[in-house]
Amino acid sequence: MLNTTSLSLDQAPPISIPFRFFLTAPLFAIAAGLQLLMFGGELFVSRWLPLTLGLTHLMTLGVLGMVMCGAMLQMLPVIAGSPVPRVVLVGTLTHVLLLLGTVLLETALVTGSAPATLAAVISLGVGFAVFIAATGVALWRTAAPSTTINGMKLAVIALAATVLMGIAAALGYSGAGRIEQLALLTDFHLGWGVLGWIGLLILSVSFQLVPMFQVTPEYPLWIRRYLPNSLFIGIVVWLLFQLGFIQSEWVDLSATLVLGLVVSGYLLFSLNTLRLQYQRKRRVPDVTLLFWRLGMAMLGCCALLWVSGKLFPPIGNSRYFSILLGIGLLQGVALSIVNGMLYKIVPFLCWFHLQNRQLALMCMTVRMPHMKEFVSDKSAQRQFHLHLTGLVFAAVAAVIPNWFSRPAAALFIVSNSMLLFNLLVAVRKYRSTLKLLLPTMPGTVSGSSTTA
Amino acid sequence: MEHRLDVSELEPCEPLERTLAAITLLETGDYLRVLHRREPHLLYPLLEKGGFVWSTRVGRTGQFEILIWRQDDQSAESAALGS
Repeated sequence: MLNTTSLSLDQAPPISIPFRFFLTAPLFAIAAGLQLLMFGGELFVSRWLPLTLGLTHLMTLGVLGMVMCGAMLQMLPVIAGSPVPRVVLVGTLTHVLLLLGTVLLETALVTGSAPATLAAVISLGVGFAVFIAATGVALWRTAAPSTTINGMKLAVIALAATVLMGIAAALGYSGAGRIEQLALLTDFHLGWGVLGWIGLLILSVSFQLVPMFQVTPEYPLWIRRYLPNSLFIGIVVWLLFQLGFIQSEWVDLSATLVLGLVVSGYLLFSLNTLRLQYQRKRRVPDVTLLFWRLGMAMLGCCALLWVSGKLFPPIGNSRYFSILLGIGLLQGVALSIVNGMLYKIVPFLCWFHLQNRQLALMCMTVRMPHMKEFVSDKSAQRQFHLHLTGLVFAAVAAVIPNWFSRPAAALFIVSNSMLLFNLLVAVRKYRSTLKLLLPTMPGTVSGSSTTA
Repeated sequence: MEHRLDVSELEPCEPLERTLAAITLLETGDYLRVLHRREPHLLYPLLEKGGFVWSTRVGRTGQFEILIWRQDDQSAESAALGS
């Protein structure tokens, strides 16, 4: 018999902490869409254009970074049983500095302003340092680290590396620092950001969330135990090969092969996730599942595209190859999964915080909305179809930019506005139910957030 | 008396919702046996706040059994722990 200790709800952040991250993300997505709408096909000419780099960072920092940081601060006390120290201060600082830094970086890339670059580097550097230090403390003091915690640790290390390389690259581009082989450094920054931070976090969190939220069997133990470590070792070896300590054509080939193994590892993860989702016991329609399946299918497509690019140079050297890969990975894989998870995490947090408050007050007369009542299924499904159509248009725009980039931008804006609307509806329902509970509490201020 | 609730094939937060609804029906001497595929860590603080006590067992198939009764209900406690 287990004498299980209770998880202390006081360890988790107030609901306002994750929500400020989750509600900011669609705003940056809308800003990215507006930028594409304004400049059109020009942004698809090359991934090296400042405007394209600006758009990419609106997505990686403003959208994906926001949701991933907010979700980690919320999930760590639950998954790791280890609270993030000073979580309100850490959450507030990380959110403000990430928001400010993303806006400054966008300004710097659009205007070419060196002072804006420096300000962006400081803001993002300090913001991520606070986040990495605080989540690092929580992760490394976990008493019994699970495979998810292990993967999260590697993702946080990869984030630290990505940020350091990004800072160095930004200083190099702005002329504030002299960096040799800036293009190679940018590739490292991109590789560690996508295959390290984003990929490893999605992978390790999936080990926990897919079986839990989608009622699937567990991932095989060998995948949970060995895949995150193997992928991390893979990107370290790839980096070492590319650093050029040994000059040989075999080194380049070996680096490509190692990267190929990393890509195969992610393909293995994607196929396993699809297999588990196919085996789920209760086959009820679920919008999160649609987003996840799209994300996993896109992961497979991106892996095949990358392999084709390596095997057939005309594809790899084509103008649209890296743009198409970027759209596939960011919009197709990462955004699909993040968007889908928001439809689970936000209603769950609303329901859970309200339930916790109700039981604490023993105010059983107030009817608690069910989790599914916070976001309408129909509205979420409509948003999924917009997201999917937007993705198809964006992929076509990579090849025929002049015709398709603006329709793709418009669809992206509408999709993310609808996501924001759906999330705001959930927050409004949370607040209105909370108000019904609050009058029973002596001395409380209406609208204050719960600590649960 | 034992009440039984199988939530092992439900997705979050239905197991929590159904368990919290079921415990409100417990009378003196009653306990609830919840069958769950995972350990419901988030249920425990809610039970604590609601004035309930629980004991968790892991079955042979890896399934979790959570026995829940009202605080200070000695007869329910001995019936649950003796089951």
